[in-house]
Amino acid sequence: MKIKVAGTGLTKFGEAWDKSLLDLAQEASLEAINDSGLRINQIDAVFVANMLHGKLSNQDHLGALVTSSLDIKNASFRIEGACASGGLAVHLAIQSLLAGSYQNVLVLGVEKMTDVSISEITSALMGAGSDMERRAGLTFPGLYALMAKAHMAKFGTTRNHLAAVSVKNHYHASLNDKAQFPFEISMEKVLQSPVISTPFTLFDASPITDGAGAVVLSSDLSSRRMSGSINNVFITGSAVATDTVGLAERKSLVEISATGEAGTKALKQAGIDLKDIKVAEVHDCFTIAEILAMEDLGFCPKGEGGEFVQKGHTRLGGKLPVNTSGGLKACGHPVGATGIKQIVEVTHQLQQKAGKRQVNGANIGLTHNVGGSGATVVVHILQT
Amino acid sequence: MNSPVQIWRQHKILHQYLNKIGRLIVWTKIFVAPVGFEHQTPYLVGIVQLDKERMPLQIVDTEEEKLKINQKVKIVIRKIGKAKSEDVIEYGLKVKPA
Repeated sequence: MKIKVAGTGLTKFGEAWDKSLLDLAQEASLEAINDSGLRINQIDAVFVANMLHGKLSNQDHLGALVTSSLDIKNASFRIEGACASGGLAVHLAIQSLLAGSYQNVLVLGVEKMTDVSISEITSALMGAGSDMERRAGLTFPGLYALMAKAHMAKFGTTRNHLAAVSVKNHYHASLNDKAQFPFEISMEKVLQSPVISTPFTLFDASPITDGAGAVVLSSDLSSRRMSGSINNVFITGSAVATDTVGLAERKSLVEISATGEAGTKALKQAGIDLKDIKVAEVHDCFTIAEILAMEDLGFCPKGEGGEFVQKGHTRLGGKLPVNTSGGLKACGHPVGATGIKQIVEVTHQLQQKAGKRQVNGANIGLTHNVGGSGATVVVHILQT
Repeated sequence: MNSPVQIWRQHKILHQYLNKIGRLIVWTKIFVAPVGFEHQTPYLVGIVQLDKERMPLQIVDTEEEKLKINQKVKIVIRKIGKAKSEDVIEYGLKVKPA
């Protein structure tokens, strides 16, 4: 499988009070189309990833809403898979290109989250959980806190291991001007911030974010390179795996098994080994989630993810820089856009145009996008 | 959304669980709540192992400091969240120390 990433676009992530969902969508889409060198009328179909807009603003029907704002008359779809909506949309877009239905498609992820109160957004996000979890008053910080406590009890993972993820990702975000929090924080700051759900403090959690990301994908592998880049970048693996929506129903509370399954499938499809990966964007919605991702993708043995992060292996300059964008934690987490932002970041790394956060020699990268507490996982492999 | 028919469907199975004893596997104390639960913060939620299934349930009548992994808990019926003035009041399952 080989699909070309022909163009990328990304808005600034953060609290965009002066911009609507459609403003963000247009900005990222037009940037990606311009970057691809294609004309708007060469876009054969549009895939829009979004989780919450119907619930938060009463506006559904985002497929046609987005195409009409871009003056595109072709097919358009809205895809939802909680926080994995972006990755799912990329996967589906790739299937449509492989089927030969389309040649050039736009995949847009967009979310506008800061217009409502914190309890409203907390409730809306719980749409990604199970009925029983909502009745128990659970929240997403609560669900991942349960996984963190189970991991701490079983493997001796510590508060400092969790905090190390946050400190590392803030350092990476300090090098990314698109990030919501482009500044460093200390271990003490993480540990001393207000508790949101034991053992998590506020700085264990990704923030509420507005933002959009877009990529133009193409089955035409011959066309021109993107402006300013020395390499063409291709997606060579794309896999989705699912599990129960409710956390309590899973076999294990200390692993996200869909991560392992999607990861293995994607690597096999690309025909590469895990050790070939030079850079990865993984789904760190909470600090424990990045530790689980390291273990479940196989970058370190089960139970040793905390130590792996704290030793600096996943920091820029380490053997496998992870979340060079700042991750969901510090770059921000506009839920429908996150899976697309991961593809944009790894593409820039492989094009050697990631600036101050460039990973030297990055030629193969991985993205890992999770929906809910692990019910949907999408893994992509990108190569030059 | 508080739908009387959804609540009615859910209520039909509650009696099967009443007074059952389970074991508490893991828990968290939640400080930032969804709509309808804000008045309860902070509150405890855990995953409880029953004979044949595991369930996420609120833990009542105790403190976080007193909880122990694998401790016995008993299922009770309690009010779920806070209903608006014209909504149906919803009851559901929670656990307390056995």
